[in-house]
Amino acid sequence: MANQKPGRDNFTRNLVIVVVVGVVLLMLVPTLISKGTKTSAKIPSSVSASHGYGIVFNGDVTNVPVVDVYEDFQCPICQQFEKMNGDYLESLITAKKATVVYHTLSFLGPDSIRAANAGACAADQGKFLNYHRTLYANQPAENSGAWTNLALTILGPAAGITDSKFGTCVAGGKYADWVTNVANAGAKANVNATPTIFVNGKELDRKTEYFNPVKFKAAIERG
Amino acid sequence: MKKYSPWFALLARLILGGVLLVAGFLKYQHLDKSQMAVRAYELLPIAIANFLGITLPFLEMAVGILLILGAAIRISAAIGGLLMLTFIIGISQAWARGLSIDCGCFGGGGQVAPGATNYLPEILRDTALALMAIYLFRFPQSKFGLDRLTSNGEKTNG
Repeated sequence: MANQKPGRDNFTRNLVIVVVVGVVLLMLVPTLISKGTKTSAKIPSSVSASHGYGIVFNGDVTNVPVVDVYEDFQCPICQQFEKMNGDYLESLITAKKATVVYHTLSFLGPDSIRAANAGACAADQGKFLNYHRTLYANQPAENSGAWTNLALTILGPAAGITDSKFGTCVAGGKYADWVTNVANAGAKANVNATPTIFVNGKELDRKTEYFNPVKFKAAIERG
Repeated sequence: MKKYSPWFALLARLILGGVLLVAGFLKYQHLDKSQMAVRAYELLPIAIANFLGITLPFLEMAVGILLILGAAIRISAAIGGLLMLTFIIGISQAWARGLSIDCGCFGGGGQVAPGATNYLPEILRDTALALMAIYLFRFPQSKFGLDRLTSNGEKTNG
């Protein structure tokens, strides 16, 4: 290409530049739109937009700490966290000693999105906590594709879900838009890892308080 | 040197362009994570970081493709070089401030366990890529590109 004579037109080169920039812009715009928070999204029961679209337990109880749990059903560290502190969090919910908000993030991949949608379907059945526990107990390798909608539906009965609507909800991706909204709310809350725990809006100390049940308990009681 | 320069430039174009294209594409596949990676640098207001997390992969892909095809080499190299400079500053300040993050250069990103960071190799790699960008900006005439060259080897535009 060197030593070409000047004066030849640049048509091909300019066309390539226009096409490349144009195609990339054409991809960017729909992406920006699809990433936007969807006000028309179907919202599962016990979800509150004011709690970042999280699934809320004990939202009506006052004078208790608010615990925000940002997690991804696929994340192995979330599974460890669940093993260590999951029972304690559930006991707080049962005893009405805390408002607990679960934010099911989905940045690891499509399996996470399907699992978060299925979690929302379980919330409609009033079985979110059971299903939550079941998912972590059956967590496959990250992004293995094992969590198909069918697999997620089959896990329903294991969590005590009997209504056939659950399967329809999972298969139809009924809450996919809601999953996007949860992700956006997490992004706005500056959540940069899972699990991330806020107690009354303040993040716990990642180095000490996440994986030490005694310190975790103390942090929540401190409020 | 003058004889081989177009070949060096071709090599620089393919490496810098290839890295940018792959890095952009991997981020594009996980945009939530890309946003998270930008936020974890704790350098920008959250809204701007989130916007950048979405748009940056597209910029990288566009510049990468243009460099590989050899179109608008000087502009693409300038953007690529500025990107690398930005990454070097971002990673350096994270290191200096004691943050524990994954640079998110090729997807991934966000906070990692202390000790799992990899700052020095990341900075050295980005420095090498920045040098290639500078070379391309200075000597954009290269083999097998779409940019048209004049008979004396100087570029007419781009």
